[in-house]
Amino acid sequence: MSEQKMPMIGIPRAMLYYRYGPLWERFFQVLGVSTLLSPPSSRGILEAGARLAPDESCLSLKMLMGHVETLIGRCNCIFIPRYSNYGYTELFCTRYEGIYDQARNIFRSSGQRFITCNIDAQNGFPEAKAFEQFGVELGFTAKESRRAWREASRALEQRKKAEDRSQKELAGKPGIKVLAAGHSYILSDPYLGKPILDNLDAAGVVTLRADALEPETARKACARFSPTCRWIVSEEIVGGVLLWKEKADGIILVSAFPCGPDSMTNELLIRRIRGVPILTLVLDAQSGMAGIETRIESFLDIIRFQKGAMV
Amino acid sequence: MNAKNAFLGIDVGSISTKAVIIDDSNAMLAQEYIWTEGNPIGAVKKLLGLLEKQFDRDAWQIVGVGATGSARRMVGSIVGATIVKNEITAHAVGTTTFHPEVRTILEIGGQDSKIILVENGIAVDYAMNTLCAAGTGAFLSSQARRLGIEVEEMGHYALQSTHPTMIAARCTVFAESDLVHKIQMGHPREDIIAGVCRAVASNYLNNVGKGKKICSPVVFQGGVSKNIGVVRAFEDLLRCSVIVDENGHLMGAMGAAILAKRSLKRTLFDFSVEKMEFVTRERGCGGCSNNCEVICVYRNGVLIDFWGNRCERGAARA
Repeated sequence: MSEQKMPMIGIPRAMLYYRYGPLWERFFQVLGVSTLLSPPSSRGILEAGARLAPDESCLSLKMLMGHVETLIGRCNCIFIPRYSNYGYTELFCTRYEGIYDQARNIFRSSGQRFITCNIDAQNGFPEAKAFEQFGVELGFTAKESRRAWREASRALEQRKKAEDRSQKELAGKPGIKVLAAGHSYILSDPYLGKPILDNLDAAGVVTLRADALEPETARKACARFSPTCRWIVSEEIVGGVLLWKEKADGIILVSAFPCGPDSMTNELLIRRIRGVPILTLVLDAQSGMAGIETRIESFLDIIRFQKGAMV
Repeated sequence: MNAKNAFLGIDVGSISTKAVIIDDSNAMLAQEYIWTEGNPIGAVKKLLGLLEKQFDRDAWQIVGVGATGSARRMVGSIVGATIVKNEITAHAVGTTTFHPEVRTILEIGGQDSKIILVENGIAVDYAMNTLCAAGTGAFLSSQARRLGIEVEEMGHYALQSTHPTMIAARCTVFAESDLVHKIQMGHPREDIIAGVCRAVASNYLNNVGKGKKICSPVVFQGGVSKNIGVVRAFEDLLRCSVIVDENGHLMGAMGAAILAKRSLKRTLFDFSVEKMEFVTRERGCGGCSNNCEVICVYRNGVLIDFWGNRCERGAARA
């Protein structure tokens, strides 16, 4: 394939893609830039990522590097934005800040080009300005870039609203409801979180998600609970748990090993939330689902026991 | 002939395999406990042979079979179980049947540990060790070997100690290096053994039991409950007495039998399984890059069950 015919930008279907995917895709679409999304996660991709990423990285970062590898040589450049902060108290996990440089370094001998967008409000680049700058770097005018950003952020907002709505519908359904709480890139990942959600589905349980909520609402709820929660994404998950827990018969905290933010917030939730059974599932590069299945099955049994069913 | 109904419960763990036969009122008609020795199918066949000898086949007929433990799926399909349940539920059901007043069940097995909280005879919450198998039976066995004693004798030595050695309890790997260091520094053996028992108990409470309100009465079971040193350590740390049932090791099998009784499914079980030949094979599916490990079970050469596939493609290949 000649370079001209290749898609302009490759997007790894991992980590923050599950949070900002609609925004990024719409941004490029409005500007008329062609994109290539990496294939859905699989064991092969995770294994490749585990081989490439530093040993001590979290599972999600390993998965990301596996996705990046699938894009090498198949697009002009690979897009890995660097989300640092939205302000002085609104921080992201440092992993998100480091992944662009890490990817560039890991694949330094491949000749692949990488491109980033620096979201760093503390240093004068809030999201809107960062994307404007990014558009200019891609060769568009500031005006074109601003327009693309406006449409993109609207697309993301609409997605969040739709998720919020469908969640409210689910919450009104009869039967046992379980609230799954974790990073979107864990819960929505076809290889990591989806088998868990499928398992709950097969057991006839309605699954609510702590991450399907309008971010502002969730963060306000979290601020009342823990004013010093450090990371934006964690604030949203904690807020989601607080707002949906009344509707749920049980909470499942799904985390990847070793996740720094989750190790703080899951601990907080386990210690502070009373009256609802909580199950913690920690995912690692295990290939078997046996331990996970046992835990989910017994957790649902406990909920059913409480509701008076005997077997 | 008017044979009365009986129920069989089998609990196949990583280290040991247990089975009981009970009647309608949960009275035990037969029981057996053997080592799994890395061969769950062989262990179950042997176990059934032993049970058959204890059991009057003219007076009773087995109409329901429950399987539990980490090999429940495989064993369930081999014996044709009427119910297959996870070990946490089975233990909760078994223990609350025999100790209806229990509030907390502590369990430490060969490879995992769990805590079950009970209110009014119903399990309301539980936790299980996450990724790490620190402080389970396997750890105690390897430390006993290092100290040159049998794991069964550990409790006896621990009780002789008046001044247990402090052993870092957070992680098995660190506990082990700490232990070696303390041996070389000249700590007496019984103090070290008592320290290991204490480390198991405090590690359990800090990891599995964290954030859980442990109320009395407390029942302690699983293989490690046979170690009096660990029992004493729990009593010291929890400041309450800890009940160890002499049949504690059978509670999972009991629970499985009781669940088989409660479920309405009835199938006549005979002991012919003993004489059949079972083979399992693992095959990489290869249908996509997940390359699932699909396990197939054959009875006398015929495929009877398979699992491990994430999607239908794996089913087609089994």
